[in-house]
Amino acid sequence: MTQHSLGKLLCTTIAGLLYSCSPQRTDTDAIRIRWSHDPETLDPFQSPNQVPLDAVNLLHLGLLEVDLTRLKYAPVLAERLPTTHLIGDSLTELRYTLRAAAAWDNGHPVLASDVAFTLKLMFCPDLPNEAARARFGFIEEITTTATAPRRFTLVCRGQSLEYSVASGDFPILSEAAIDPRRQLRRYSLRALQRRPVTAPADTVLLGVARRYRAASPDRSPGLLPGCGPYELVKWEKDRYLTLRRKTNWWPDAGLRPVPAVLQALPKRLEYVIIPDAATATLALRRGDLDVYPQMPAREYARLQTAPSTSNALRLYSSLSYSVVLAGFNTRQPALADALTRQALSHCFDAAGLLKATQMGAGTRTVGILSPANRMNYNDSLALVPFDLKRAAALLRQAGWQRGSDAEAGWVRTVANRPRQQLALRVRYRAEETLFATAALQFQAAAAQIGVPVTLLPTESGTFSASMQTGDFDVYVRTLNGNPFMFNFTPIFHSEGIGAGNTTGFNTLASDRLIEAITTAETEQRRAQLLRQFQALMQREMPVVPLFFLPNRVAASSRITGLQVSSLKPGYSVKTLVRAPQPSPAP
Amino acid sequence: MVGLVFRRLAQTGLAVWALASVVFLLSYRDLDAAVRLALPDATEATAGPGAGRAADQATRQAAFRQRLGLDLPLFYLSRTTDPQLHWVKWRWNGAHNQYHRWATGLVRGNWGVSFRTGEAVTARLGRALSFTLPLTGTAAFLAVLCALGLGQRLARRPWGHSLLQAALVGLHALPLFVVALALLLTLANPEVVAWFPAYGLSQATDADLDTWSQTGRYALHLVLPVAALTLTALPELTLHLSGALARELRSDYATTARAKGLAEPAIIRHHALRNALLPTITLIAELLPALVAGAVVVEVVFALPGMGRLLADAAAARDYPVLVGGILLIGAARLLALLLADLLYFWADPRIRWHS
Repeated sequence: MTQHSLGKLLCTTIAGLLYSCSPQRTDTDAIRIRWSHDPETLDPFQSPNQVPLDAVNLLHLGLLEVDLTRLKYAPVLAERLPTTHLIGDSLTELRYTLRAAAAWDNGHPVLASDVAFTLKLMFCPDLPNEAARARFGFIEEITTTATAPRRFTLVCRGQSLEYSVASGDFPILSEAAIDPRRQLRRYSLRALQRRPVTAPADTVLLGVARRYRAASPDRSPGLLPGCGPYELVKWEKDRYLTLRRKTNWWPDAGLRPVPAVLQALPKRLEYVIIPDAATATLALRRGDLDVYPQMPAREYARLQTAPSTSNALRLYSSLSYSVVLAGFNTRQPALADALTRQALSHCFDAAGLLKATQMGAGTRTVGILSPANRMNYNDSLALVPFDLKRAAALLRQAGWQRGSDAEAGWVRTVANRPRQQLALRVRYRAEETLFATAALQFQAAAAQIGVPVTLLPTESGTFSASMQTGDFDVYVRTLNGNPFMFNFTPIFHSEGIGAGNTTGFNTLASDRLIEAITTAETEQRRAQLLRQFQALMQREMPVVPLFFLPNRVAASSRITGLQVSSLKPGYSVKTLVRAPQPSPAP
Repeated sequence: MVGLVFRRLAQTGLAVWALASVVFLLSYRDLDAAVRLALPDATEATAGPGAGRAADQATRQAAFRQRLGLDLPLFYLSRTTDPQLHWVKWRWNGAHNQYHRWATGLVRGNWGVSFRTGEAVTARLGRALSFTLPLTGTAAFLAVLCALGLGQRLARRPWGHSLLQAALVGLHALPLFVVALALLLTLANPEVVAWFPAYGLSQATDADLDTWSQTGRYALHLVLPVAALTLTALPELTLHLSGALARELRSDYATTARAKGLAEPAIIRHHALRNALLPTITLIAELLPALVAGAVVVEVVFALPGMGRLLADAAAARDYPVLVGGILLIGAARLLALLLADLLYFWADPRIRWHS
C-alpha cells in the first residue's frame, strides 16, 4: 500500500468517525451535575468531603436532615424533632419516634433496632468509622423497648442545645442486611465505645465488620440497602456516578402530604467528574452538563458577560458559610501579644481582596460567624479597616520600634528575653489563587510599614503538616461552618492544641466562653455568649476573618426548580426538574 | 543473546524491587501526614458537640493505624533511644513488621489497599492503566509514525522545509496544557466548531448503544487527547530524526549511493534511516515509562481517569500504597524501556552487537 492510499484511508476513517459519532447530546431524563473529583468511597461512615456526602445523602436517610432551603433541621425518618430531657447536670436524654411509614425497599419497617445497630457499627473495630466515632462519641447509650419498636432514647454525655439536631444526622443502616443473626445486640453501645484500641480481637465483632466491608457500596452496590430515594445504577470511578429514583420509595405511598425534605423529583441523576473548571464550563455551554455547582469566581464572571449565556444558562448565587481568614501563630514570641496581632490585622485589605478575587461578591465579616446568621452575628462590632497608619501606631504601642534605617524593620526588647525582630512567613495552599492574592496583598501592605514578609506557597499535604507543627507565622485559608453547630473547641480551645487549634491561641477566658457556648441552655443565652465570643476574638485577634465566600451555581435553562442554599453543595438536588423540550413548530 | 536478555531481566527485577523498597521505606517516614489527611480535617468549624479535642484525635489516629496495620514496626530492625542514658538500642522485630507484610503481599499479588478508600491497589492501578494505555499508546504510535514520515521528508530538504522546522520548534515550545486547551477550545467549542466531545471517554447513556457505536464514540472521545499528546511528542522526535538523517545523507556512503543512481528516498529508506535511528531509539524508549505514567495534564483537561490523575491525587493525599504501586509500575516500565533500547541498538547497529 502506498503512502498516498494510506493517507486516503486515514482521512476516510476520520470522516466516517466524525459522521457516525457526531457528539450530539443524547436526550435522556438524567440531570447531569458536575463534580470536581470522584467521591472515592460511598461508605456512609467514611465521607472524607462533600462529594461523597452528596451521594450518600441520596442513598441513605438519617433521623433528621438539613432542609437546605430553609436552613433548618427537619425530621426525615423520625416523626418529629426529639424531645429533650436533662438528667442532672451531666446527661441528656433524647427521645425519638420513627415514622410508621418509614420502610426499607423490601417493605420491612425501619425500627429502633436499626438505629441502635448503626450506632454500634460506628464503634465496631476494624471498620473505617474513625470520623463517625468523633462526631457521635457524645451518644453514650441507646435504649429500645420490644413493646414500642419505633421508639428509642439516646443518652448523651453532657448537655448541649446542639444535641437535639446533631444526634439525628447520620445515615441509618439495615440490621437485617448486615447482621441478620443480630450478633451486635450482645454488645452495649457504651461497651463498644470504651473498648480500647489495643483490646484483643473479638471474632463476633470482626465477623460483623467483615460482612459490612463486603456489603460496602464501593464493592458491591445493592448489598448495603439504604432507605433513601435513590439507588446506585453505575459508578465508573473518576468518570461518572448514576443514581436512579426508586419506584417504590416509602414516602410515595406512605406519606400525605410529602414533607419538603422527603421530596425527590429527578428520576435519574448523573454526577459527571470533570476536574478542570474551564472544561466543565465548556461542557455546560455545550449542553453536556445541566448543573455546575460551586463555580469559581472567574468562570462565573465570564458566563455573566457572555452573550450566549442569556438564553441557555441561568446563574444563581447565595452567601456561603465558608469564611476566608488569616491566622497568626500565637506561639511565636513576636505574635504572642494581642496588640501586635491587631496591628497586623490592619494590613489586610479585605474589601480590595473581595473585589479582586470574588468580583465584589461575598460579604465582609467581623468574626467567623456569618452575617447571615442574624441572631448570633455581633453587628455591634466594627469591621477591621485596612489602615496602615493605625497598624504602625499599634505596633509602637505593642513595644515595637522601627530601626534607624529602612532595612532594619521593627524590633522589640522584652525583659529577660532575646531581642525580637518582626519578620513574618505567610503559608498558604499553593493551588488556590485566592490565598496567593491575599498573601501577596498582605506582603505588599506590610512592606509599606517596614515589616518584611516571606511567602510560602505550600503543597496541600505539606500545608496540613505545617499547620500541625506550627511551622508558620501567618496562614491564609478557608474555614467551613454552618448555622447549627457552634463548637469552637477544635479551633480555639486549649484542648484543641495539637489537633485543630493551629494558631495555638488559648486563654482562660476564651476557654470558659467556648465551654459556656457549648453548654448554653437556651438559644438566646447562646446568642449572647456568641456575641461576647466574637468581641473577645476581635480583641485577641488570633485570626483575621476577611470575608464569607459566595456560593455560585450555573445551570442550564432547561432545568427548573433549582433552589440555591448557603450550605454545601450550594443547591437542593432533590427539587431539580428538567423542563420539557419545546416541540418543533409544524 | 538470550542469556544476555535473561541476565538483564534479572537485574531489572532486582533494581525494581530495590526501588520499590526504598520508596516504601522512605514514604513511611511521612506516615503522620498520611494518617492526618486520611481522616476528616480537625479544623472544620462544623464539628459536632463534644468533638475536636486533641486527645480524641490521637485516639482516632491510633484506631486508623491499627486498622491498616500501621502500628507495626516499619522494618525487621528498629532503633530506639533510651531517654535517660541516651543509648541507641536496636531491636529485631522478626517478620512482624510492615515491610515484611508489604513484600510478602507483593509476591502474592496483593499490593495493599488504599488508605483513603480501602480499595485494592491492584484494582485501582489496573483500572487506571486500562484507560491510560490506549490513550498514551495510540499517541506514542502516531507520534513515531508521523515522525518517521515527516523526518524523512524534512531530510530531503523539500521546498518550505525551514518553515516546517520552525513550526515544529514553535510547537515544541508550547506546554502541553496550552496545546490541550487550544484543541479543546477550538474543536469542542460550540462558539467555534464542536466536532469532538469536551470531556471523558463515554457517557453513562452510551451503555445502551451497540458495540460499534460504543467503539466509535470511544474513539471520538480519544481524538483530542491523543492529538494533544501526539502534537507535543512529535516535534522532538521529528527534529532529531531529520537532523540525524541529514547528517547521514552527507556521509560518503550516501554520496556513493547517489553516484550509483539511487533516488533520494531509496537512499534514505535502504541506507541512511537505520543509521539515523540510533539517537531516536533513545527518545522512543523514553516514551515507554510515559505510556504507563499517563499524562496528568491531558487527563485533567479532558477529564480522563488515567494513571497520571490517580498518582497525582495519591501524592496529594499521601495515599502511599497507591503511590508505591504506581512507582513500582513506572520504575519497571523505565527499566524495561532501557532493556528494550539496548536490544534495539543491537538490531540497528551490528557494531554494538559485535562489541558486546
